[in-house]
Amino acid sequence: MTGALLFVLFVVLMLAGVPIGVALGIGGAAAIALANLDVPSFGLLAVPQNFYASLTKYPLLALPMFVLVGSIFDRSGIAQRLVNFAIAVLGRGPGMLPVVAILVAMFLGGISGSGPANAAAVGGVMIAAMARAGYPAPFSASVIGGAAATDILIPPSIALIVYSVMMPGASVPALFAAGLVPGVLAGLALIIPAIWLSRRHGLGQLESSLPRPPLWPSFVEAIWGLSAPVLILGGMRLGWFTPTEAAAVAVAYGLFVGMVVHRTIRVRDLLTIFREAAEISGVILMIIGLASIFAYALNTLSIIDPITQAILATGLGSTGTLLCLVALLLIVGMFLDGVSIFLIFVPLVAPLMRAFNWDPVWFGILLTMMVAVGQFTPPMAVNLMVSCKMAGVSIEQTFPWVWWLVVGMLLALLAVLVFPPLALWLPQSLGY
Amino acid sequence: MKPANILIEDRLGAVLMALLLLITLANVIVRYFTDQSFAWTEEISSVLMLVLCMAGSACAIARDTHIRVEYFFSAGSPERQQRLVVVSALCNALFFGVLGVLSAQMCWDEFRYEETSPAIGLPKWWYSVWLPVFCGVLCARALQRLQRAKAGA
Repeated sequence: MTGALLFVLFVVLMLAGVPIGVALGIGGAAAIALANLDVPSFGLLAVPQNFYASLTKYPLLALPMFVLVGSIFDRSGIAQRLVNFAIAVLGRGPGMLPVVAILVAMFLGGISGSGPANAAAVGGVMIAAMARAGYPAPFSASVIGGAAATDILIPPSIALIVYSVMMPGASVPALFAAGLVPGVLAGLALIIPAIWLSRRHGLGQLESSLPRPPLWPSFVEAIWGLSAPVLILGGMRLGWFTPTEAAAVAVAYGLFVGMVVHRTIRVRDLLTIFREAAEISGVILMIIGLASIFAYALNTLSIIDPITQAILATGLGSTGTLLCLVALLLIVGMFLDGVSIFLIFVPLVAPLMRAFNWDPVWFGILLTMMVAVGQFTPPMAVNLMVSCKMAGVSIEQTFPWVWWLVVGMLLALLAVLVFPPLALWLPQSLGY
Repeated sequence: MKPANILIEDRLGAVLMALLLLITLANVIVRYFTDQSFAWTEEISSVLMLVLCMAGSACAIARDTHIRVEYFFSAGSPERQQRLVVVSALCNALFFGVLGVLSAQMCWDEFRYEETSPAIGLPKWWYSVWLPVFCGVLCARALQRLQRAKAGA
């Protein structure tokens, strides 16, 4: 009964457009109060205690830091130079610019940790360039929205940091290492349909006539951007810094490149950058804090156990349950953002994970891939919204194109589901 | 954004962000040169992050940028959208008002029983007192948003 109230209240408020964190908090607090009617102050002191405890975890500091990295690299001028270099290497031809967009988004994924920031950085450079080469704007928006979704798989990743904070036994370095191969796989799964669509519909016919930048000068120009992932990921791997410190070093590096080398960031832009990062961090952290109230209610009111038992009793088995979960999360992912999905579903599915002996790192990568697909599956697709806004098209216009990319990335997801070593081989051989 | 639209919480958030960055960088540099780490900064950083969360959230309440399901919220007739803005603002004001009262009680308990923090040993209420304070700020921003919605904005 209390459990039903918890979910009904949460879902109704959520559908009414109440901020997701607040909907979680109200649902959780109401359920706690109802279950503790005979206790002084209805047991509600657990509400501020859980909120406070969940937000004062030091490892969580990596989150606002990587949000700041995204805001800075967005404006550092690195994306433009990486694009020039990629064109110089790959050459010109129909279908090449979409590949450039995907590769640059994947590369930026090795610097920033959030999909929308990546979509903004790549979109800012590529949408105009692709329009000049004759690609229709809805196609460009679809490709960039999909490509930016690889960002949360390729380390560093804000989504994986959130998962690590919630899941004991899945450390940030292990998750970061595990995301690399599936991230590259997801990128390849986008490149193939992008080339095929361009060829089949004769897109980008003007591209062959555009000039190709000279190789060596564009390499020299791009060197600052090319070195950034080496510094961030290499520094973490060599034990120079923790993930949080790697983010802080990346911020300093990005500010240096943006303000001194490329001169795209001026001193008065700093307030905008730091203000924007503070607001985005506040939004994400608030959901994390309030979701802890919801999770506390779920755990103490023993709501999860009966659900877990019921699922185990259906006899679907490990793979069957996973496939159902994929289908469910894909639908949920169309309406909810990634961080909220983690915060709501990880406490719910953790007992299932233990019952079936799923590896927490592998499972985290699978969840992240589902969230990544959801980030560019209409109608509620954060990355696609950013790229559509920049391209000046509506999300509906991308329908004919974006489905091919969604199917491509779903196949990559299935590959990781069927062959867990795709995710687990790298962290194991690195010794995490 | 126009300077007039920048809230006091915006400036606070930006300053906290910069402060957290500098503390973390200082940690790397000090460890590199002296082989020591000053772990006590972790406790300070965690509390600064809590305040950062509250300041950023206050701005997001004022501008309606909190993550929500937009499917009904940003569609339908203007009257319905208006109503949903009111519902959101009311829920925000109510929830953060209640959270403020409860966290004030938590803070008062920590003060009464003289609890101290695990790493530095400072009184715990020095940290937790910011929770009711900022819950008040969030509640006020939500009420302000409600007033603007009533005025037809």
